[in-house]
Amino acid sequence: MLEWLVAPGDQVERNQPLVEVETSKSVVELPSPQAGKVVRIHGGPGDKTNVGEPLIVFEVPDNTAGIVGTVPKEVAPKRRVRLSAVLDED
Amino acid sequence: MSGRHTGEQHSHTVEGTDPQLHVAVHEPERDAGLRPILLLHGFSSSSKLNWEDTGWLQALLSAGRKVITVDLPGHGRSGAPEDLDSYTPSRIRADLLQIAFDAGVRPVQDGDPASGLDLIGYSLGSRLAWEFGATQPEIVHRIVLGGPNTADPLAAFDIVAAQRYLADGTPIADESTAQLLKMALVLPSNNIFALLSLVQAIKAEPYDPAEAVPHVPILLVAGENDERAATMPDLAAIGSKSGALVEQLVIPGRNHTSALTSRVFKQAAIEFLSV
Repeated sequence: MLEWLVAPGDQVERNQPLVEVETSKSVVELPSPQAGKVVRIHGGPGDKTNVGEPLIVFEVPDNTAGIVGTVPKEVAPKRRVRLSAVLDED
Repeated sequence: MSGRHTGEQHSHTVEGTDPQLHVAVHEPERDAGLRPILLLHGFSSSSKLNWEDTGWLQALLSAGRKVITVDLPGHGRSGAPEDLDSYTPSRIRADLLQIAFDAGVRPVQDGDPASGLDLIGYSLGSRLAWEFGATQPEIVHRIVLGGPNTADPLAAFDIVAAQRYLADGTPIADESTAQLLKMALVLPSNNIFALLSLVQAIKAEPYDPAEAVPHVPILLVAGENDERAATMPDLAAIGSKSGALVEQLVIPGRNHTSALTSRVFKQAAIEFLSV
């Protein structure tokens, strides 16, 4: 966890940057999956959070349910663009 | 991700060869009317890792900027040519110039904020941006360099040791070489042999920032704990000495990797390039 860009009580839009995190491979800025009010954030700068653990809790606009955002899994690329594939295109 | 994205494969030849570089032009939803920004990623990275996942692309698009991204040869979605010449910094700069013109970049004209091109580079991308700015003064307007230095760490890379390690696991004595190779191997999208070609090409054309100095305003940015950018003040001195306006920004608590996502870095770059 490098730095939170939002705090509890903040109203956030979908795709708004929420937090900067560092993984074993790189650094990423996680965008908000939805619009809503931030209820709770988990962890602070320097803290370690494991994949699947809660990261942030939102109150959604229709006020029917809170949604817990968890640390996303790293997904391996499905396909690699190979030299031959590029050459064959023209 | 906000903004419309137009992917585009750079498919025609430059000086008789197809550079096979993957280029994308990203248009903002609300155009600020300013010149495009070309983003140049670092060694063993890609436009996606260096600029998209870190929030740069979205931040620049939200600021109303048109953005051009390109994956370096052997990186990301670009091809991995077999000839060594495709990886030389001079060759890459020629390809970048063609990419800029293909994206509609026009020479800088006083009083026309949409003319010219701004550059943001990181690490190896900073070296390329420095040289591109110095050699293409007609089109480059301003430059932001992240994690910059005066000597390319790749020039000291021990290729023989790396090849031995890849062949039979012989440990690498040089710490910097071991670290760079480890970084290159950890990403499944990397073509390790193309990356070694790039290192070899860089050794043939080592970085000498004093040889050609950009004369446009330059913003240098590094994390406080970035050992690879320890010579940033020397680079600033080289720029200032030749009359360039140089600003420096140090980001507290960040290193060569973690400086990338920094909001302070992004805001400073957006502001610096908004004139």
